[in-house]
Amino acid sequence: MPQVKIIAKNFMDMVASLPAIKLDILYHNQFICEAILRSMPPLAKKYVLQMLYIDVPMTFKSLQEWVLADGSSKHQVAIDRLIQLRVLEVIDRKKETTYKLKPTFQTNLRKHLIYGGILSREPMPSNVVARLPTLEELDAYAHEQWECFLLQLISSGQAERSSSFSSSMMRIFQRGLLRQRDKEAPRLTESGFQFLLMDTNAQLWYIIREYISNSEEQGVDQADLIAFLLELSFHTTGEAYNLNTLADDQEAMIKDLADLGLVKLQQGRRERWFIPTKLATNLSVSLTDSSSRKQGFVVVETNFRMYAYSSSKLHCEILRLFSRVEYQLPNLIVGAITKESLYNAFENGITAEQIRLWETDLNRVEMTPAHFYDEFSSRDIFESASDFARVHGGLLWEDAKKMQMAVKAEIHMLMREHLRGNK
Amino acid sequence: MAPAPSKLYADDVSLVVVLLDTNPFFWSSSSLSFSQFLSHVLAFFNAILTLNQLNQVVVIATGYNSCDYIFDSSSDLNRSFENGRMPVMCSSLLQKLEEFLIKDEQFSKEEPDGRIKSSLLSGSLSMALCYIQRVFRSGALHPHPRILCLQGSPDGPEQYVAIMNAIFSAQHSLVPIDSCYIGAQNSAFLQQASYITGGVHHKPQNLDGLFQYLMTIFATDLHSRSFLNLPKPVGVDFRASCFCHKDTIDMGYICSVCLSIFCKHHKKCSTCGSVFGQAQSEVASASDKKRKTPET
Repeated sequence: MPQVKIIAKNFMDMVASLPAIKLDILYHNQFICEAILRSMPPLAKKYVLQMLYIDVPMTFKSLQEWVLADGSSKHQVAIDRLIQLRVLEVIDRKKETTYKLKPTFQTNLRKHLIYGGILSREPMPSNVVARLPTLEELDAYAHEQWECFLLQLISSGQAERSSSFSSSMMRIFQRGLLRQRDKEAPRLTESGFQFLLMDTNAQLWYIIREYISNSEEQGVDQADLIAFLLELSFHTTGEAYNLNTLADDQEAMIKDLADLGLVKLQQGRRERWFIPTKLATNLSVSLTDSSSRKQGFVVVETNFRMYAYSSSKLHCEILRLFSRVEYQLPNLIVGAITKESLYNAFENGITAEQIRLWETDLNRVEMTPAHFYDEFSSRDIFESASDFARVHGGLLWEDAKKMQMAVKAEIHMLMREHLRGNK
Repeated sequence: MAPAPSKLYADDVSLVVVLLDTNPFFWSSSSLSFSQFLSHVLAFFNAILTLNQLNQVVVIATGYNSCDYIFDSSSDLNRSFENGRMPVMCSSLLQKLEEFLIKDEQFSKEEPDGRIKSSLLSGSLSMALCYIQRVFRSGALHPHPRILCLQGSPDGPEQYVAIMNAIFSAQHSLVPIDSCYIGAQNSAFLQQASYITGGVHHKPQNLDGLFQYLMTIFATDLHSRSFLNLPKPVGVDFRASCFCHKDTIDMGYICSVCLSIFCKHHKKCSTCGSVFGQAQSEVASASDKKRKTPET
């Protein structure tokens, strides 16, 4: 089966593909410089900081002196990334190419390091806002919103409430994750299954990437949206920020972000505000390769019984994809991985890499309809029959000593003709 | 105790425990002023915190008489300060630093002349290692820690044993000790510390550019070090100090039980109490004459 990998960490590729002028505007914002710095591979980050206070262009050779022979491939990856993000400018001289940090980026990052960045948005004073949710309440809210969204994404019937996303928007999210055959309910594809197994931040970036790609068609500037999201990740979790500090397109985006669990919207008597959750402030952590940090809570026994300590509807749905859920207790889902449930999963396109258990069983016994030939009167007839079968690609097995063979059913009639002809 | 698994983090996350030399005897005669030094160092801390959201910086001040924690970027007060990080860090750190310096001075008492004015490096190394052990045992996910000594004071031979013990403890826990020496001579202790634990030692030539040295060498996370060209140890001074007088010696006597070092022959080991046999000393006094002849 083809390996389809969901590319969720390519948000920075999207940033890199923005036109140069737009990227230059983005780099005026200190926080965006920091977010972009954080998204780079480790060597690239080092090079940026080393070159931060060097005003003269550096030759390719002097850059190479920084790295040992072992690291030359990583070195090249880092340099390429820096050029791709337009952080490093290439100055082609006749003798050799030299590199310099992009002045906008350099100036703003210097300022950020020496003075520290201050956001343009201040949290609202506590006497104006009503009782703010505690960090635990906020976490629970974010988690619930996100799960609800995912549930709606993979099986619209299951969600308790529908989000404010239009059905066309949901279809765009579902593209590649779900497959719909005529008159059938939409089913999860292999990519969809992989998507569900990714950690929350990676899933979030995938959805946001689709959202932003689609925004151009709605007439909203991609660069503005990207800048807003990157800045959002630097806000303080749990603090209230007034909605009137947002531009129009940012305000439209905020409602969608609330549905995803990135912010919580609240209103008081006169003011309305949004509160960033951990999902929002952790966005920049996942811009790079983030390893999954989920704690395991699923126990699978050697008799294929399965116990999942979760009360989440979403988890139950995911488990139902490849196992037979037997009963659900308030904090435990008990099921069994059976042949039938796995065949069902395979039919849905879930590959064996994900469920290795019965794949080998499926492949162990292969059945081909065949005919068994015995009691040949002479060796010559046997050999000619065997050659005949082989030529027609139908010989499955033969035993020359006993003069027996098995031939594919497809050519059985031909064999009969041949044998009759020989007699 | 072996460190808890930290591989679940992305490769380049760092936890740096910085030992900041605040010895007034050194700073009063240094070409680089303490405030200039701090401006380089604070920008360096901010750079480390900028590199990765999960990076952590802990600062311990190495005073003349005492040591203390003066900053921890992961503490509750400082935790949510992505916004306006530098101003918050500066004010918090500088305030604590000032309080520490006042307290440190109050510990001063009459001292014999001629004592080398070293800072209490053994104390701050021990504090750093205790902090790191606590991180290991907390069971939480953590990046692999390292220690950075920013030191200008000369070595104090009376601290030799304590410092060597700390170095071996760091080596055992796989904690590299980096050292940046900004004093006039050389620090054998720091060279040995970095050499034994696998850290990097460097003595910057030009202190005006201290920030650049810090960024280029000491901001490198542990993972990237295998790929980058960093200063290698050259001519490490491995001389020991004798346990009896704390003098630096090239040759001496060693107790075969506990490996304590003495410059003169003793009847009994002062560390483990083993008696050095009479016969040995007679043989020794004959070849003593050979050994005592200095080899130049």
